[in-house]
Amino acid sequence: MAPKLRQIQRTGEQAHKEALTYFHLDTFHDRMRTAAAAEWGVAARSLSLAGQGAQLLHVRHLITAGLLWVVLTAVGELLVVADLYPTVGSHEAQDFDDIFRFLLLLGVPVMTFVFAVLIYAGLQFRIRTAVPTEDGPAMRGQGWFPRAWLAVTGGLAIFVMIYPGLTGLAELQQGDKGASGWGDQEAEVTIKATAFKWQWLFEYPDGTQVSVAAGKELVLPNETSIKFEVNAADVVHSLWIPAFRMKIDAMPGRTTYMTVKPNKLGEFASDQAYRVQCTELCGLDHATMMFPVRVVEPQEFESWLASLNEGGN
Amino acid sequence: MHALKSVAGAAGLGMIGFYLGLGFVAVLRAMLGYPDAWGGEINIVGGYVFGLVGWLMGIGMWGIWIREWFGLKTYQRRAPGWQRYFTFNTDHKVIGIQYLVTFIVVFLLAGLLALGMRLELASSGMQFISHSQYNGAMGLHGILMIAVAVAAVIGGAGNYAVPLMIGADDMAFPRLNALTFWLIPPVAVALLATPFLGGIETGWTAYPPLSTTTNSSQILFDLAIITFGLTSILGGLNFIITIIFMRAPGMTWGRLPIFVWSMFVTSWLAIFFTQGFAVALLMILLDRVAGMAFFSAEAGGDPLLYQHVFWFYSHPAVYIMVLPGFGLALEVISHFSRKPLFAYRYAVGAFLGILGLSGVVWAHHMFTSGMPNYLHGPFLVATELISIPTGLIFLSALGTIWMGKLWLQTPMLFAMAVIFNFACGGVTGIFLADVPTDIHLHDTYFVVAHFHYTIVGGEIFALFAGIYYWFPKMTGRMYNETLAKLHFWWMFIGFNLTFFTMHLPGVKGMNRRVADFPESLDNLNMLVSISGWLLGLSFLVFMYNMINAWIRGPVAEANPWRARTLEWQTTSPPPHENFPEQPVIKGHPYDYGVPGSVHGVFPNSGLAGAPSGSAGGGGQ
Ligand SMILES: [Cu+2]
Ligand SMILES: [Cu+2]
Repeated sequence: MAPKLRQIQRTGEQAHKEALTYFHLDTFHDRMRTAAAAEWGVAARSLSLAGQGAQLLHVRHLITAGLLWVVLTAVGELLVVADLYPTVGSHEAQDFDDIFRFLLLLGVPVMTFVFAVLIYAGLQFRIRTAVPTEDGPAMRGQGWFPRAWLAVTGGLAIFVMIYPGLTGLAELQQGDKGASGWGDQEAEVTIKATAFKWQWLFEYPDGTQVSVAAGKELVLPNETSIKFEVNAADVVHSLWIPAFRMKIDAMPGRTTYMTVKPNKLGEFASDQAYRVQCTELCGLDHATMMFPVRVVEPQEFESWLASLNEGGN
Repeated sequence: MHALKSVAGAAGLGMIGFYLGLGFVAVLRAMLGYPDAWGGEINIVGGYVFGLVGWLMGIGMWGIWIREWFGLKTYQRRAPGWQRYFTFNTDHKVIGIQYLVTFIVVFLLAGLLALGMRLELASSGMQFISHSQYNGAMGLHGILMIAVAVAAVIGGAGNYAVPLMIGADDMAFPRLNALTFWLIPPVAVALLATPFLGGIETGWTAYPPLSTTTNSSQILFDLAIITFGLTSILGGLNFIITIIFMRAPGMTWGRLPIFVWSMFVTSWLAIFFTQGFAVALLMILLDRVAGMAFFSAEAGGDPLLYQHVFWFYSHPAVYIMVLPGFGLALEVISHFSRKPLFAYRYAVGAFLGILGLSGVVWAHHMFTSGMPNYLHGPFLVATELISIPTGLIFLSALGTIWMGKLWLQTPMLFAMAVIFNFACGGVTGIFLADVPTDIHLHDTYFVVAHFHYTIVGGEIFALFAGIYYWFPKMTGRMYNETLAKLHFWWMFIGFNLTFFTMHLPGVKGMNRRVADFPESLDNLNMLVSISGWLLGLSFLVFMYNMINAWIRGPVAEANPWRARTLEWQTTSPPPHENFPEQPVIKGHPYDYGVPGSVHGVFPNSGLAGAPSGSAGGGGQ
């Protein structure tokens, strides 16, 4: 108990000193200044007597609000196990979901901390009179507390900046630094994608083209790294396949790329996450600028490609 | 009718100017041998410029300002009562109310557009409107709401409250202040005219080459937003000079109310960055009317350049929107917790920190744009860093309410909701700042939900806190507290239902800016639409309460909230010159619970700021 009392006493003295400097700033007569400062000193000393009780009460508040925080966090963390995602159709998608869950795991307690304090204070510290009849304690938030806050929030920010931020980024940007795109610059299959108002044209390595006019679906081999080299013919579009969690803009005048490795068979007809969707507003029919995707076994992919060539030529 | 004469006359002059401008350009084009003298977009530019000048002269700039330049005697229309709101009035209180009312109307209009969009989005397939109508409504909703977010708190609450809170009798440049407001109606007219030229097809972001090739509504959009940027810059300048030079004696920087601090920092943001947007749009304009090809890849231009210039403003813009919201929320929270603002210096430091960092984070909007890979890391780092000063705002807010005597009147409820909502908006921001998660989430409804949480949840809730807080001061009448609380809970629940749910279709694979989506997302979208309509209806309660109270509400006290800041130490509404005499500042504005402390005094008339300790003692 003794150190706590000393601390309260020190707070009283500090308040006294503060009062002196405070009133020194204005143009009050000396007499008034001293009187006011003395009054403050008395108040501060009586506070230190009532201090023990107040401190106990404060501790009780902290514990109850803390419990509320724990409960809210427990509820909020259910989001981590909830199925929020489209089908996992690629290794990249698995990575995304893992990182998303990790950020939820970290983010939920931050959010619920704020919620808990607000809810607890709203319930416990509200006044029940029509107008306020007294003031709260003059806590100014100087000293160790804001510094500790800064350290904790700063630590958290720097933590998520490094992991999963920069580490994840390093994994996504394995090409050279001046390139524009995601993943390996070398892949087993390279597909040229051209966006135009308001559809897509895909060209396979052997020159086969698919679009709404021919082929009518983008067939991709499973467990094969596929690089999309993306261009735009007119305005900015963006190539996104929700099942792969990957997206890169199609920009007139430059070539961007993204490399993905599908890990699950699937097709648009039964799962709408398997689609190429334009995600950059490109005018009238932006909303319908969409193309079906089907992921098949590599052998089936080869035979599909061959059949398309026969049919086309 | 002064009001009618003032506005109708100016509109008439504006119209005359518009046609003169069209004709002037047509004559020039004919003389230079263009085949289609009347047909170019440059005619619209000429018409807009001439029309703008005609409108401004007509509304009062000629009489009150320009005549001076020619050595003539200036005059001002003296309109009685409410009619002064329709004239070129230089009183900051009138201008503040002009801004607030105008932007509430714009807010409701843009909100109606959103309700229309949610109707179409209630289920997949196309039911009510076409793709082109949807795009037009979406673009208009976007840019109108951006305008509300930029101008409602700054122009409304800022203009009204800042001079009062620092003990000044007006802004530093009252005529400039009136000009910033009267530039707004032409902006509104131009934007609302866009559907007649085909509708905004590009969203509010106007990315080229779409914006350089789309219909001519883009010209109106560019001209309107360049004008709007001008009001932002002029307003920012005015606030900076006012806050530096017009503080009452004793109002040191350490005693400045936190809302004034937030306005000060915001004004710097406005004058540093707004020209980015204006320049970006000017370049679009020049691409269109003069064939500059800044953004045309085949002519050697670069579409990506636009995105850099555009976001160079438009990221700081979110802080232009949200910082005054934070300031307002902290202001209200301190008065209604009856406690000093916790960690005041840290909160000020947070504002300054955000000011410093906001200029180096813009490319986080472009992580998937195909910009070179070496840019992602630095922008990721800077973006994450900005959460540190933002965290200090939470420290200040939560520390202030802790152990306070919370008076849960409507302004306080809205202010606490700001902190609540922004906690969600801040956390979802991390998902978008971290590149690995942003790649999937970029341009999906997750982003839409996120920025509505920060801008609506953060700033617009603060705007309503401010409206309820200062309503008695502005109108001299008191609103109905029960209806106000009904509005709060209705809006709070509607908002959180709508926008929390909206994250889910985004993660599941719904991209933004679309009138149609895969059927697998039907249920989620129906839920969002219903909640959105619930949210929309809450404003009926607000409108009824405001109109009713303004006309026949009970007369308000000078200081109904027992608050210590200066605006509450004068009558409601304050006289033209604000205070009976020059107030002198003796202490901190938030020293609740400090025996014997005062904030401001009037040395000769003996009026004093609320002495603390006795909460009841306020005003006269
Ligand atoms: Cu598109
Ligand atoms: Cu941003």
